[in-house]
Amino acid sequence: MKKWKVISPLVFIVLWQVLASAGALGKGVPSPVQVVQGLYQLTVTGFPPGYKLLGDILSSLARVLLGFGIAVVLAVPIGILMGWSSWFDVVLDPIVEALRPIPPLAWLPFALVWFGLGYLSAAFVIFLGVFFPVVLNTVAGARSVDPYLEEAARTLGADRRTILLKVIVPGSLPSIFTGVRIGIGVGWMTLVAAELIGVKNGYGLGYMIMNAGEVARFDYVVGGMVVIGLIGFLMDRAIKYAEKRLLKWR
Amino acid sequence: MVRKSTRWTKLALSAVTVAAVVVALSIPLGGCGGPSGQTRVVRIGTLKNDLHQVAFYIAQQKGFFEDQGLDVREGGVFSAGPEEMSAFSAGDLDMGYVGTAPAVTFKGQNMADVKIVAQANTEGSAIVVRNGLEANDVAALKGSTIAIPGNSTVQDYLLRTALKKAGISDKDVNIIVVKPPEMLPALASSQIDAAVVWEPYPSMIVAQKAGRVLLTSAKIWPNHPCCMLVADSTFLKKNPDTVRRVVAAQVAATKFIQQNPQESADMAHLYTGQPVDVARAAMKDIKFNYTPDEKGIQRYVEFLKANGVVKIGSVGTFMDNLMYTVYLPGGG
Repeated sequence: MKKWKVISPLVFIVLWQVLASAGALGKGVPSPVQVVQGLYQLTVTGFPPGYKLLGDILSSLARVLLGFGIAVVLAVPIGILMGWSSWFDVVLDPIVEALRPIPPLAWLPFALVWFGLGYLSAAFVIFLGVFFPVVLNTVAGARSVDPYLEEAARTLGADRRTILLKVIVPGSLPSIFTGVRIGIGVGWMTLVAAELIGVKNGYGLGYMIMNAGEVARFDYVVGGMVVIGLIGFLMDRAIKYAEKRLLKWR
Repeated sequence: MVRKSTRWTKLALSAVTVAAVVVALSIPLGGCGGPSGQTRVVRIGTLKNDLHQVAFYIAQQKGFFEDQGLDVREGGVFSAGPEEMSAFSAGDLDMGYVGTAPAVTFKGQNMADVKIVAQANTEGSAIVVRNGLEANDVAALKGSTIAIPGNSTVQDYLLRTALKKAGISDKDVNIIVVKPPEMLPALASSQIDAAVVWEPYPSMIVAQKAGRVLLTSAKIWPNHPCCMLVADSTFLKKNPDTVRRVVAAQVAATKFIQQNPQESADMAHLYTGQPVDVARAAMKDIKFNYTPDEKGIQRYVEFLKANGVVKIGSVGTFMDNLMYTVYLPGGG
């Protein structure tokens, strides 16, 4: 089984190289070799010249983590409350459900007005992408806690606060982790949109991808895509690992 | 008697059918009656709400395309030049009004094979600064954040030229990309100190009191290239006479603008939805002339090559391949 983990990406890359070299992928679609060359130039020279890849990575990482962090910190308590108390659910559900389908991109003009061109405006757009999947999964998790467990805790003399912290929250954790993993993925997905308004420091993976695309440097575009894919993959693995450690009791 | 007549009818019918097939086959595909089978249907791409291609609106309105026997179809209205160039590489456009930058970068990257057949306009950009910024010349922009519409655009080059003239290194300013529609709110909220952008944005920014014009591009680089009329190389090869006619309509429309600036500005207002005063102010700063300045374009291509954004071999060969102005008056 384990060898397939290596074989499948290799087959994908070889197939991509063959198809791109044969011109079967369409005009301007770079091959893996060209992408690696592009990544090298991005690392050494940068695009625009002087703005190197490492700066793009660090800036985007900061924006994603900021938006993601705020989203999780707000979404988990709100989700627990909605899942646990029907009053909160009645009050908040219509608002959450009405805001959820709005594409984060639609908020761009307001992101600029509220947060300017700094880290916060991009983090806000990313926040919008991350918040909803985490809320919904947390709600589902809190609701899935076995009512008998809650009942048992109550008979043992636990108050509401203790039940919430000792029964509901731990019981929701597996679902919360699912939400967080979906959320971080969506966070990276909204990155290009988030950096579309412009970034004050001139660094960003999404910003670079957009600018390179406008001058038809698709080797840089795909290079940026590969970097986002790799970071997203590593973060997902890190969360999975944390989940395994934290949920040993299961 | 009855039988005989049926046979004759059958014979006549088959004769007609055969004749019809022969006629149908002899008409070339896509043929709309031009000489040697050249199509008269042209799909022309334009940019959304853009004032540089006013000649296109005027040619439509005044019937200059029809005068040339053309059937001009809206090939697509694009929010930006790179999208329009992608439509060229997808084979969805025959001709288009587009900025020099996307035309040159996409051609340089072998993404779209187009040729410049006429010019839409020159000049018409400006450096605008936010309110409250105490700057009376470019030298005063030292240390400020300046927005350009895209890396390697003509505006990027204009800014670097102006900075150089003022004796400032481009390391002394923070140059970032902000899309033109976002420049106004970014200036108004002091997120950026200055922006270099094409009309109608400078006039809009002034009209909405979000900033003021520091320097028009005419003063940075007189007669600098801006928007062009381009043709897909394959379309040009197949339908040279059709392209010649579109160029003739472009020339007629440009002459009309030169002779009737007021009426043209009012028509621009109708087509782009810009307020009348914005359209009039913007059109004053745009120079409409149909003959491109090859030396100016070459200067810009050399800039692109120097900063390594576009991989071009010989600039001379590239220019020969790019320019095709034989259909312009005095061209050839």
